[in-house]
Amino acid sequence: MKVYVVDNGSQWTHREWRVLRYLKVETKIVPNTTPFDEISDADGLVLSGGAPGGACDASAMGNNGVYLDRADIPILGVCAGMQFLCQHFGGELGPGTVPEFGPVELKVSGHGDLFKGLPDSFQVWASHNDEVKRIPEGFEVTASSSTCPHEAVRCIDRPIFGVQFHPEVENTEHGVEIFQNFLEIVESRRS
Amino acid sequence: MLGAEEFIEDTIEDLKQKISGKAIIACSGGVDSMVAAVLAHRAVGDRLLAIYVDNGLMRKGETEEVRGMFEATGMNYEIVDASEEFFSALAGVSEPERKRKVIGEKFIRVFERKAKEFGAEFLVQGTIAPDWIESGDDVRDTIKSHHNVGGLPKEMGMTLVEPLRDLYKDEVRDIARMLGVGASERQPFPGPALAVRCLGEVTPENVAIVREACYIVEDEIRKAAAAGEMELPWQYFAVLLPSKSVGVQGDRRAYGRTIAIRAVSSIDGMTATYSRIPLQVLDRMSVRITNEMKDSVNRVVYDITNKPPATIEWERLPSGFTTKNAIEIP
Repeated sequence: MKVYVVDNGSQWTHREWRVLRYLKVETKIVPNTTPFDEISDADGLVLSGGAPGGACDASAMGNNGVYLDRADIPILGVCAGMQFLCQHFGGELGPGTVPEFGPVELKVSGHGDLFKGLPDSFQVWASHNDEVKRIPEGFEVTASSSTCPHEAVRCIDRPIFGVQFHPEVENTEHGVEIFQNFLEIVESRRS
Repeated sequence: MLGAEEFIEDTIEDLKQKISGKAIIACSGGVDSMVAAVLAHRAVGDRLLAIYVDNGLMRKGETEEVRGMFEATGMNYEIVDASEEFFSALAGVSEPERKRKVIGEKFIRVFERKAKEFGAEFLVQGTIAPDWIESGDDVRDTIKSHHNVGGLPKEMGMTLVEPLRDLYKDEVRDIARMLGVGASERQPFPGPALAVRCLGEVTPENVAIVREACYIVEDEIRKAAAAGEMELPWQYFAVLLPSKSVGVQGDRRAYGRTIAIRAVSSIDGMTATYSRIPLQVLDRMSVRITNEMKDSVNRVVYDITNKPPATIEWERLPSGFTTKNAIEIP
């Protein structure tokens, strides 16, 4: 199974790569300017976070939009990755009402995919100034927090997921399980 | 670590291929550079010379401790006393990014000199993932320049070899334990050493203050951990702040410096929580620092921020500091 990490400039892009490697997936970090044809062999993609303002600045997000339009495989957007995909499909972004840095209590409302088998509430780590203000049509919220209503979203008819927090960092509880759940989705789409 | 044995074998093989002649390794005595040194030593034996630079910014007793570690490995090594050279380059420099670059450049000049004497064409470094991630690149913001990345001058005259580039500290420690490297459990220590724990100008006097305060913090926390009062944090140290505040010492008003204590729990240094140090341990550190160091310090504070939003080591955001997206907090 091949799952590539699209590098949008996050401090934690390489952590995503590490988690995937530890889960024994064939993985590599690719710049977000990579032409789609060069990564079309992937079975899944992780869109990393980016430097502040990254998702709001379309020029910093390279070919993420092309991947979202052309790749018919599961895609997980993290932080700016989630913000970008929400904006791409018609959602709205803006500065967070309460910016979140460090621990956040996550409330899970959708246990169907990324959060399968996980508790209703647990601690995750976030680091963001901006947030998704309005989710795109055809998406639903699967987790929130008291300071951010859109901590996780999923697309209803395509295997596209977004998390505003960072499942790849050590301090996030159940982070590895979130990746495992994503990989299960990738695996089931392959067979 | 996943596949540590395989990593060791592959890396030694790879180093044999890459290092065709003689090499030096920049070795601070920390776990990263010691692991890189031992791997390179296994690959090329006596064609490797390990160099430890005493830049005058190291902790109390550190140089002797590192000498002992080198002796245990059996590799060629040299300890270079360059403290005067470093202090004169740092005179008048208080902006932290510049400090880091000045130090990086000084290190490289010393290594270049030693490489020439030894006839080395390769420079091995123990750079790990957070070093280059946080130093920034075309797509990533500079969080801080790690001396072994951001501080590297463009014209170096040696081929750089970095066998641990994709590893994090917890993985390096696993490999260190497997290789029997004495530094495996040492706490992380920044490349620019005590210079980044002296906010403001790095003078021999300021370094002496922060060195003593770091020693007291390390000593008290180690004792408390050994006595079961607390877990040993990932990293624990003192920072000297550049301001003075009023105090009272024996009925006399006294202006003194402030020491900030920092202790954090972490796995990989990329995220961290501040350590919940028991109050009696904080108390012992505070009393010891303000008594034993009464001529310079009259106030001690404890840093209670996580990473993010703070970093583990203190960095003062200098005025005029601009990377493309840096947020200036007024």
